[in-house]
Amino acid sequence: MTDPILSLRGIGKSYGAVLAVREVDLDVFPGETVAILGDNGAGKSSLIKMISGAEAPSAGEMRVRGERVRFSSPHDALARGVATIYQDLALAPRLSIAQNVFMGSELTRPSPLPFLRLLDKKKMAEESRRYLEQLAIRIDDMSRPVDRLSGGQRQAVAISRALRWNADIIIMDEPTAALGVKETALVLDLARRLKASGRTILLISHNMRDVVALADRVVVMGAGAKIADRPAAGLSADDLSHMIMNGAAPTAPDSPRPSTGPG
Amino acid sequence: MREIVGRYGTALAGLALIVFFIAFAPNFATPGNIVNVLKDTSFLAILAIGFALAFTVAELDLSVAEVASLAAVVCGWLAQKQYHPALAVAAALAVGLVFGAANGFGVTRLKVPSLIMTLGAAAIAKGAAFMITQGVAFVGRWPAGFTGLARGTTLGVPNLVLWLAAVTAFAYVLVKWTRTGAHMVATGEADEAARLSGVDVGRMKRLGLLLAGVMASIAAFLLAANLSSAAPNMAGDYLLYAIAAVLLGMTMFEPGKPNIGGTVFAALVLKVLGNGLVLLGAPYYAQDIVLGAIIIGSVAFSASAMKKAAFKV
Repeated sequence: MTDPILSLRGIGKSYGAVLAVREVDLDVFPGETVAILGDNGAGKSSLIKMISGAEAPSAGEMRVRGERVRFSSPHDALARGVATIYQDLALAPRLSIAQNVFMGSELTRPSPLPFLRLLDKKKMAEESRRYLEQLAIRIDDMSRPVDRLSGGQRQAVAISRALRWNADIIIMDEPTAALGVKETALVLDLARRLKASGRTILLISHNMRDVVALADRVVVMGAGAKIADRPAAGLSADDLSHMIMNGAAPTAPDSPRPSTGPG
Repeated sequence: MREIVGRYGTALAGLALIVFFIAFAPNFATPGNIVNVLKDTSFLAILAIGFALAFTVAELDLSVAEVASLAAVVCGWLAQKQYHPALAVAAALAVGLVFGAANGFGVTRLKVPSLIMTLGAAAIAKGAAFMITQGVAFVGRWPAGFTGLARGTTLGVPNLVLWLAAVTAFAYVLVKWTRTGAHMVATGEADEAARLSGVDVGRMKRLGLLLAGVMASIAAFLLAANLSSAAPNMAGDYLLYAIAAVLLGMTMFEPGKPNIGGTVFAALVLKVLGNGLVLLGAPYYAQDIVLGAIIIGSVAFSASAMKKAAFKV
């Protein structure tokens, strides 16, 4: 059996006296798409913040590719190959596609002056185009500002930045929230392409249809703890909603409606 | 077409203005007057470039003019005492570095909004300049090596124009072609996105404010060298002009973004306008009224692109 690419043991987070996440164990295997579900306040966003480096855990340990990690910032996580595609995208709207893809990790080339390196804008544009083409997005002009792109195209730019960092664990935080039908289809396609390229995806979504469409496994959070962790195969959107509300799949013994379960 | 108007509209209007004064303002197009306008432009443009660099990281530096006055007074004092010009220049730069660093510290570490921090710094610089001079100007025979920095020519080009060219080239290459500049721009455009991508946002803000202080120093020793005098209020009037140059510059070339080319060209337009109005016989206060209208108009007419957010306290 392969080793998990991401492994959490006894991870907890407390804010003062409030315990937001308690003793979560979770293993995610390479290439897997794991959906993390839970109602508001169930602890899923605190859990994700710890994995993405936005917050430090107050208890437990986290390993990436077997190595113990303590992220002090999202950039730390990024450097370890864990990238988060944020709900609000974290893009600079007035800057170009290439500037956004290479933000913080710009390419440079030597200049006639020995002490001066200049931005390699041509190469950054070329590589940005290549990343987008990997995601089957064709945009002619890499100098176009991001605020002139559609919501789905912006997601693609944000994902390209993750690819630029060679991230192989990609956290997608509500990727289809606030998107129209067509754009949602585009983003699901982006996620499928990431998956097909062998990357590991952690998906947070309120849209159960996204989860059914993409996830290999679902993890349900409730009251700060992991209350379910099972393969997604055979689960319907209704089953998932039920799990979030009741903490178990309808097939569980205490389920009020076992007949709808996949068995 | 709209793209061209958006990018070059005000620049073309500025150009038309220059042509208008050449055609109609008496004595405008004489070599002496043109050199004067260019010299005047260089002080303003260097100061405005400093303001633009701070604005690039989305901070306001309202202390540039008073810091320049203080730096001018400090180097003027040394020049008057016949110290070596290099020492006078170094002292002026030290003033800008100290104030620029303090502004950066206040904004990023003490979390004082730059509007407040630099307004306070401006008052401190102003008070210090009056303290050093006891309210009177330093005048006298200053070392030729010092005054030559501004008054001399090199290969027939006025040194002031060369200083401006050097500062412009430095700032332009920094912002447009270096990684540091890219980080400054990212910081100013979207600090959260920049932080998430590993940009040291605090450091970039400190750098922008530090460079604003340095540019104020450069403008200061050139101003003092050109006049062989240093008075505690000598650069105070440049603040509004510098702001106007940056804002008018933001309507050109890269609409809505502080940019070096626009800033320098706008500084020239403003100085041409001031000079042309005087030559046409307009009263001196007309300049201030026009200046105010330009400041408001620049922001109002490019409202969609303009970074109004930078002005919120």
